[in-house]
Amino acid sequence: MRLPLLIAAATLAFAGQAAAREFSWAATTDPQTMDPHAVNSAPVLGFLNNVYEGLVRRGRDMRIEPALATSWEPIGAGEGWRFVLRRGVTFHDGSPFDATDVVFSYERASGETSDTRSWFAPVSEVIRVDDYTVDILTSAPNPIFPDSIANWMIMDSDWAAANNTTAPDKERGTFASLNTNGTGPFRVTLREPGLRTVLEPFGEWWDSAGHNLTRAEFTPIRNPATAVAALLSGDIDFINPVPVQDAARLAASPDVNVIRGTEARVIMLGFAHAASALKYSDDVTDANPFADARVREAVALSISVNAILETTMRGSAEAAGQLVSPAMRGYSRTLDPRPGYDPDRARALLAEAGYPEGFSFGFKCPNDRYLNDESVCQAITAMLARTGLRASLDAMPVQNYWPELRAGNFDMYLLGWSPGTFDAEHPLRFLVATPDDDKKLGSWNFGGFSNTEADTLLPLIRSELDETKRQAMLDITASVVRSETAYVPLYVQPLIWGVARHIDLTQRPDDFFMLRWVTVN
Amino acid sequence: MLAYVIQRVFQSAIVLLVVGLVAFSMFRFVGDPVDNMLGQERTQADIERLRTTLGLDQPFPVQYYKFLTNAAQGNFGVSYRQGRPVSDILMERAPATLELAAVSGFLAITIGIGLGVFTAIRRNGFAANAIMSISLIGVSLPTFLIGILLIYLFSVELGWLPSFGRGETVDVGGWSTGFLTSSGLQALILPSITLGLYQMTLIMRLVRSEMLEVLRQDYIRFARARGLRERAVNFRHALKNTLVPVITVTGLQLGSIIAFAIITETVFQWPGVGLLFINAIQFVDIPVMAAYLMLISVMFVGINLIVDLLYFAIDPRLRADRTAAH
Repeated sequence: MRLPLLIAAATLAFAGQAAAREFSWAATTDPQTMDPHAVNSAPVLGFLNNVYEGLVRRGRDMRIEPALATSWEPIGAGEGWRFVLRRGVTFHDGSPFDATDVVFSYERASGETSDTRSWFAPVSEVIRVDDYTVDILTSAPNPIFPDSIANWMIMDSDWAAANNTTAPDKERGTFASLNTNGTGPFRVTLREPGLRTVLEPFGEWWDSAGHNLTRAEFTPIRNPATAVAALLSGDIDFINPVPVQDAARLAASPDVNVIRGTEARVIMLGFAHAASALKYSDDVTDANPFADARVREAVALSISVNAILETTMRGSAEAAGQLVSPAMRGYSRTLDPRPGYDPDRARALLAEAGYPEGFSFGFKCPNDRYLNDESVCQAITAMLARTGLRASLDAMPVQNYWPELRAGNFDMYLLGWSPGTFDAEHPLRFLVATPDDDKKLGSWNFGGFSNTEADTLLPLIRSELDETKRQAMLDITASVVRSETAYVPLYVQPLIWGVARHIDLTQRPDDFFMLRWVTVN
Repeated sequence: MLAYVIQRVFQSAIVLLVVGLVAFSMFRFVGDPVDNMLGQERTQADIERLRTTLGLDQPFPVQYYKFLTNAAQGNFGVSYRQGRPVSDILMERAPATLELAAVSGFLAITIGIGLGVFTAIRRNGFAANAIMSISLIGVSLPTFLIGILLIYLFSVELGWLPSFGRGETVDVGGWSTGFLTSSGLQALILPSITLGLYQMTLIMRLVRSEMLEVLRQDYIRFARARGLRERAVNFRHALKNTLVPVITVTGLQLGSIIAFAIITETVFQWPGVGLLFINAIQFVDIPVMAAYLMLISVMFVGINLIVDLLYFAIDPRLRADRTAAH
């Protein structure tokens, strides 16, 4: 009885071995390091999620699910969270995973030289209770803490000590910038920065492998036309992103599927709220019309977002009415949909505010940061002109853009925001809160928007454990942001992936690509 | 002679220093590397701290001076993006660019001279006229477009050649070469044609016009009158005399093949120093940009210096003037 079964199993195993399922993919940027705590950027964290794991991870639908922790619960009345760790997990080098590694990874990821330390700002202490239990104490109740650490990756403490990489060093690099040792489904077998990175499945992974790959190779391809050609010729199985203008043509190819989705990133317009006068105006040089909410609302009403989406984005994006997309936790469902296009009302508002003839101002825009950003800004400039809002557009590469925004050199600007925690609280903290360096608030609120109600509610939102009460406060803040027109949300940036037809994979709204969901047919 | 050499070397050094100074004064306009190095959740304090660590808070002459003193000791700094010594990265990437440039140069010279001679000998033939017309494409189309067209024709439509990259490479004593594998050789074909096409047409047109000139000379007529075979006349007598200006131009073009590899490398995702430089610009990776620019200018200045010295050796008039002046 047993023998045929054994033979069948052996044959199956052999067949699996023989059919090498190799997969290759390309993106425009190479992850700049393999160190999970050195750089807090999507290309790095997305890539390393295949190699390292956190206590929790995000599933296909972005929901938090157990990873290295099997369960977690709040301690007391919100003093922190207790995580129960998974037993029998090993790192790629074979050493076992336990609570020591969690405490070490906390210290490493929250250290002075770590770029991820803002995630741990609410944490006061991490305590190893026993080998498989860890308490993470927070200075205030923190309901979304487990959500905020899905990208906090656990590193082996002994491996780090043996290789002298107990702290990340972004400027000079360490052993961990080129080498990895995680617990994840794939291990890096070759790393040539900027050229290619080869991964192979980790045989001892604790979870059942949802993929059927035997090898995966990543190549950064900088030029989008080359990437499209590589996909069409079959040299590459998956590219991200597909240029908006090539999507239709790729979809027509018999060998390629185009997968569209919406990213977590909302594209919006921001204003110089706190400035005393316009900086780039020909006619209004002694006042700041954008300090008046009516003028900001007029901007919102002058822009036909649908027209932008149809032309510039070729129908592949969704209009946005709030600072976060509807897929995010805490999105305000009670708020009315986005105000529509109403140039007459816009003109009336401008007249009411004392600018019946409109005014001229400077509009800053990046030209290589978001999908078709410069064309979108040109379309906006043309639309605004029709209600007398004469914007002079200044588009520039992103490396020059951020310094300009930080220096306050704008009257109006374009910004994209992707909430790292996938929660509506995130943009409130960075974009809406009155800038305060000590409290680490409003660090991206370049225009200096300030609203007492929003500022008062933010700390309460951050510590409210009751889901309903929290949502009620988020709803209030969202309506304040709307009625004040603190920002003009435009649309949710689309995700456009190009995939060879014989490949199945999952697209997640955070634009992370997970090898564990890839099957080669 | 020695005085002349010293003077030329001195001038070259000054050119190098000026190039470096201009480069460093330009880096500020490329952008601010700090934003790329810090994540979304950075604070103003993080920005200031990193600026100080990198020395970006200092005026550019100071940054340049530091770069020079370190570079003089062989230390080109650490890449902002990769966190590794720039000299290591350059050494890794140089073989790809040099191999590509060598193959392109070889193709440009052999095919360029061959076609040049052919079009000169059969100057009224149909084939020669066709080649001359087609060669206009090589001169007028931008490299970027030629590369993309070749990829679409040979990789996407025909599926004969890889669309990007360098194929498998073999490491020979620290030099990664693509010459020893079939995928490496295949990967070389399209980029080297793209990179060498301009030089190829340039050499072809130069050889053709020189050759036409030479074929009109008396000694060619005499050679023909003596009853020498056509092949001997064309290749032994005419071609030899054509090559002197060709060699000069080719020498000068060598530097530009390496420097202009940037575009070809970007189109084909060819992992050489040009692609490294383009990525460095995007990331405002100042140490990599500085080292690359200095390397390229050293190369250009070096080639010019050698050409100058060769002229000195070849041309007796130059020598006479100098001696008289001193």
